Amino acid sequence: MTLQFGPILEQWRYLLGGAWLSVQITGLAFTFGMLIGLVCAASLSYGRPITRRLVSAYVTFATNTPQLGQIFFLFFALPDIGITLSPYSAVLIGATFNAGAYLCEIQRAGFASVRRAELEAADVLGFSTPQTVRYVIFPHVVKVVFPPLSNQFIVMTLGTSMASIFGVEELTGRTYNLSAESYLSVEAFSVAAVIYVAITLLATFALAIFGRQVCRARIKVL
Amino acid sequence: MSGPAATQITHLFSYYDVRLLLLGFVATFALALVGCFAGFVSGFLVAILRMTRSRAMAPVRAVMFAYSMLFRRVPFLVTLMLVFFASQAINANLSTFSVALISICLIAAAYLGEIVRSGLESVHINQWDAARALNFSYLETLRYVILPQAWHVILPPSFGFFVMFIKDTALASQIGVMELTSAGKVLSNKGFAAAPVYGTVLMLYFLMSYPLSRFGKRLEKKSAATRNR
Repeated sequence: MTLQFGPILEQWRYLLGGAWLSVQITGLAFTFGMLIGLVCAASLSYGRPITRRLVSAYVTFATNTPQLGQIFFLFFALPDIGITLSPYSAVLIGATFNAGAYLCEIQRAGFASVRRAELEAADVLGFSTPQTVRYVIFPHVVKVVFPPLSNQFIVMTLGTSMASIFGVEELTGRTYNLSAESYLSVEAFSVAAVIYVAITLLATFALAIFGRQVCRARIKVL
Repeated sequence: MSGPAATQITHLFSYYDVRLLLLGFVATFALALVGCFAGFVSGFLVAILRMTRSRAMAPVRAVMFAYSMLFRRVPFLVTLMLVFFASQAINANLSTFSVALISICLIAAAYLGEIVRSGLESVHINQWDAARALNFSYLETLRYVILPQAWHVILPPSFGFFVMFIKDTALASQIGVMELTSAGKVLSNKGFAAAPVYGTVLMLYFLMSYPLSRFGKRLEKKSAATRNR
């Protein structure tokens, strides 16, 4: 068997366009997931018992069932009650739903890392609440939270590949198209794999630099 | 088969459909379990090879490093497709189940190799020297000195990965492996409403992974308590 990468590599624009869509889905799901996670983590840490129950039910359910099954449910079951989602929005909502739960767990661990004594010390020193948040809580939370967050970002980038199953033409979807057109399946998927590795490596480095410069978190690269 | 929801649900839980779902349940669990065990063994090998120090082993170290980095950065769906098409290209004539099994073992070795390595590295380097001073061989050192201490660090997160593999096997439905998600697809194609079918499938996944992740968390708490002594 001989491998022919030429016809696949000629389509690099097409593939990179797909990769851009993958990154977009990840970015959107991550942003919305962060917001959901923040609200959930706050209500888990400081909320009333009933909200705590509800939130932890959501988190355990979302983290213990496959994202693919969740998107299947959204895509095929919701039309029965009159909500028809496009493939793109079904995937985005599914990814956000899933990300919200994981990011909630991560941020809750961050909240838990702030010690009570430090808050009391800030109080004694006459810090206002915004000052306490800015100078005492935030630096701690970021340091604990940043490495798992960047890890979650990578996991989510890989997770977007399942959008292809619903017909979204991101990187994997476009790879399917190429392999069906050219019959060069092994080559097409190897190129896709290399692009995924490149994207996630870039994301790791970018996030590590961001974390070091802006958040002063110590991050090991690789 | 369009009727009121109640009849649909009683139809859904008829003998053959329940059997299909249970077979899917078993297949999913088997895939994840075998993947986890094989991944553990080969991940252990990867970790040991990456921890070698001699110069002669440098190329092996590089290969193992590349392996565990690459397979953690390629989506499982792409790995699956690569194994699927590559096995066709070399005329291996594998069943779709074995294709899924091979791909899950591949990623499991990469992920668990990393866990095992972090576990082995958590044991202080002086322990190796002490064991050598007591005339332990390399394997004896691993078996009697390093592993008993590394075990507490390795075990809790591997349950998290077990759950992750259970969830990843859902993608194997894409190449036609008859596991839980495929069972859901079949039932949905038979004409059942999507909500009860996929709801049941999700509940079954939950039943499988929840006890495992719960157990993993408990182990984590226990081992953290002993380390803070």
